[in-house]
Amino acid sequence: MAIQEITAHPGARSQLMAGLQDILPLAVGVAVYGLAFGLLAAQAQMSGLQTGVMGTIVFAGSSQIIAVERLVAGASAGAALLAGLALNLRLLLISASLRDELAGRPWWQILLGVHLATDENWALMHAKRARGNSVGYWYLVGGGLGLVAVWVLATVAGASFATAVPEPRALGMDFAFTAAFIAILRSLWSGSAMLLPWGGSVAIVLLAGLLTPLDPTWTLILGGLGGAAIAGVLNND
Amino acid sequence: MTETWPLILGLAAATFTVRLSGYLLGRRLPDHGPWARGLQALPGCLILSLVTYLLMQGGPQEWAAGATALVVAMLSRSLPLTMAAGIAAIFLLRAYY
Repeated sequence: MAIQEITAHPGARSQLMAGLQDILPLAVGVAVYGLAFGLLAAQAQMSGLQTGVMGTIVFAGSSQIIAVERLVAGASAGAALLAGLALNLRLLLISASLRDELAGRPWWQILLGVHLATDENWALMHAKRARGNSVGYWYLVGGGLGLVAVWVLATVAGASFATAVPEPRALGMDFAFTAAFIAILRSLWSGSAMLLPWGGSVAIVLLAGLLTPLDPTWTLILGGLGGAAIAGVLNND
Repeated sequence: MTETWPLILGLAAATFTVRLSGYLLGRRLPDHGPWARGLQALPGCLILSLVTYLLMQGGPQEWAAGATALVVAMLSRSLPLTMAAGIAAIFLLRAYY
């Protein structure tokens, strides 16, 4: 890792291209989910235009799925919005952790960066960095641009050709992101100092999931914050 | 549906507000000491929480496929290979067990 740290920071353009390239396998998974979301959008009688606009300006897949599912189930726009928003509270933590990447950048880059940060490209950036590559803002943006393009194309295609779309589960594709995040965790593991924070996160999610009626969104946030708090309190610098 | 455009615009505004608030919050935290250590550990803890939750939702087949993905991740350190192995494992497990 020390050797790579000495090498110069790659330029914005090459980072953008690297981000685009590395996101490809994840984008395949996103495409499958995009098709599935398009199917749901068609059930909500959303047009291709509405589906495309939603994908571009919301750009948070799981919250779009929940919100439109609520709409199909007969909920009001307000109730659907709240359900989607609850799922997005996780994004608060993601953009909080982008502090160093965004520091000192002009406002348009900050706005672009926070909008394009999703679980996938954000996690990928951290995994890449944990392996000694000095990637940052433009790598994240490159991955985000790739994802937004694939997400919009796939959701609009799904909404337009709803009857021809297969279920992700039938192809085993529902497991795509679980496997991807396992690979990313392997890259983020940096030694025994992480044992307690990570163990704490797992324990919190298991306990909250098994013993309390908490909504999954809150369980995730508690698990993430709990592990981070343990890491903060432990002084192993 | 007349509810569609309000939902799209409302959810977009709310989501962007959450994203921007996260940045503004992160910027106000000190850059060394416990807060900085916590913020640095946050990505791994959040992703691990997500994986734990996803595996909890599944059963023995998902756990076995997760274990397969973990072994491939540890041996190969490759994202595409790990995804391919996980998807293949869950597909085969569901088809034959």
